[in-house]
Amino acid sequence: MRNGHADDIATLVEPGRVHRRVYTDPDLFELEMERIFGRAWLYVGHSSQVKEPGDYITTDLGRQPVIMVRHRDGSIKVLLNRCSHRGAKVVNDRKGHAQRLTCCYHGWSFDTDGKLATVPVPEGCGAGFDRDALGLARAPRVGVYRGFVFASLADKGPSFEDHIGPMQGNIDDLVDRAPDGELALDAGMHRYVYNGNWKLQVENVLDSYHVPFGHASTVNKQGVQFARREGDQKGATVVEAEKKQTAASWKDRKSFTVGNGHGWTSNTTLDDGKRSSPAFDEYKRVLAEKVGAERAAEILTPRLHNSLIYPNMSIMGLNIHVRVIKPIAVDRTEVNIFPIRLVGAPAAMNFGNIRLLNVTHSAASFVQTDDLESFVRAQKGLQSRMSDWVDISRGLGAEEPDRATNATRGLATHEMVVRAQYKAWVGYMREAA
Amino acid sequence: MALAARELLTASGLDRAAFEEFLIHEARLLDERRFRDWMELFADDGTYWVPATPDQNSPFEEASLFYDDRELMKTRIERLEHPRIHVQTPPSRTAHIVGNLVVEETDEAKGEYVVGSTFIMVEYRDDAQRLFAGRQRHRLRRHGDTFRIVQKRVDLINCDGAFEAMAVPI
Ligand code: FES
Ligand SMILES: [Fe+2]
Repeated sequence: MRNGHADDIATLVEPGRVHRRVYTDPDLFELEMERIFGRAWLYVGHSSQVKEPGDYITTDLGRQPVIMVRHRDGSIKVLLNRCSHRGAKVVNDRKGHAQRLTCCYHGWSFDTDGKLATVPVPEGCGAGFDRDALGLARAPRVGVYRGFVFASLADKGPSFEDHIGPMQGNIDDLVDRAPDGELALDAGMHRYVYNGNWKLQVENVLDSYHVPFGHASTVNKQGVQFARREGDQKGATVVEAEKKQTAASWKDRKSFTVGNGHGWTSNTTLDDGKRSSPAFDEYKRVLAEKVGAERAAEILTPRLHNSLIYPNMSIMGLNIHVRVIKPIAVDRTEVNIFPIRLVGAPAAMNFGNIRLLNVTHSAASFVQTDDLESFVRAQKGLQSRMSDWVDISRGLGAEEPDRATNATRGLATHEMVVRAQYKAWVGYMREAA
Repeated sequence: MALAARELLTASGLDRAAFEEFLIHEARLLDERRFRDWMELFADDGTYWVPATPDQNSPFEEASLFYDDRELMKTRIERLEHPRIHVQTPPSRTAHIVGNLVVEETDEAKGEYVVGSTFIMVEYRDDAQRLFAGRQRHRLRRHGDTFRIVQKRVDLINCDGAFEAMAVPI
């Protein structure tokens, strides 16, 4: 498998099942870093995190440390966080502001577009010293859509538009909710890690099947989950308490796929008409004032729950946030969750969202912790050599076209979205770089 | 600083030992998983806060690991008592140590005191042992011959690190 022959890769994914090695084989993980994270369009960060020239954040694209920085011409650069001199990591803070990025080791400094600016003791540089060639390496391709910054570490491949196009509506859905048409990811972050493969988290993002059982401890005796949004009196009904089974309304939820591994689940169970609080009512008023009553009503109609932009990010439309998935090793993954502030919405509403996100997605939350336990146990179970296959066949053959969204539709308790992810996975993995 | 605090304490007629005893009792309730009794230590307007950044100013403007009022605390504890809380199967066992206690503020008019201390919590669960440590500040309100917690703020030294799932309060 080390060489990743196309035929070998193809044997790992069948129509309704995948081989356990996709989660456990370190060689396959290396290949993923090269063929998926080394070239796919990856989410890097949000423009609101680097508002002013010189503002930067650091993160990782796969295992490549990068700096996302605002250059003085206003553009956003994604630079490799590795000194072009002798390799030290240049920026060590998670975020900050600097005119120049200066390496701690010998003091080379770089402009915010990566160009080498100054070298201490320049007389030591020989005649062949090529300043222009010694800037920080840059992600060859960067694309920005409504503040969401993506980069590809390969200079060739599908265009940003081709990759993100089918998901633009999902981003619009969220951004349009802000009265000022703008989001701010400036309310800190949640960071959690688990001993499991990165795909366990990716698959889980659109998995509505697990909720009634996996999150049983968050559901009360009436089968209702706690309120997850500012202004909601209660959460979704996920269990029919008397029959002790998944609620029919929950089973009706839909999921959608649009190629490239992307997909989303629809948000059909929350009765939005009941959501009310002083902050939410004020928000509705401000939004209608800005965009008109008709458009405001459209924006407030719940459509989306989670949207996955494969392979490394999701956005959530319920208690709004961005999630970034960072593979560390075949059995180790970090996930970052960024609360979203709707710019122009009442502060109390944004505060409410930040608060409730602690409850659902912090490392100490009521919801995410049970998912983490499932990921860890999946990774442990998949070590078993007696049984090689993982079943992802729910709803196989039940997919249907959805004309309204130009997508393929299934039930959210099916596994259509997981199969779509593996289709994209095989597409990336089969092709040598 | 320490001396000034002691003088204030004398003025209030409260012994440092009373605070110490209260914090030890609180830690013990957590270690014995008596979460409901622990919740009852909080005033009706009490909050439990574990910031996600050092020196975090506000639980509203930034993400926190925990920020529970009594209502959320109750939901959290109902979940901890639920038979199908997977992340507590098996349950965590913890041991707290609380020390270096300093009375940082006293407000006799309101009957409120801020007590700072240092803690270490060792947690064992499912073959793994973890260490949590940091400073904590309790804002306490006099309540009969004991106290109610108005706010417990826990500043973990690694608060902005990445955590594996945390199921029990610190
Ligand atoms: S390694 Fe960066 S200046 Fe030498
Ligand atoms: Fe979940």
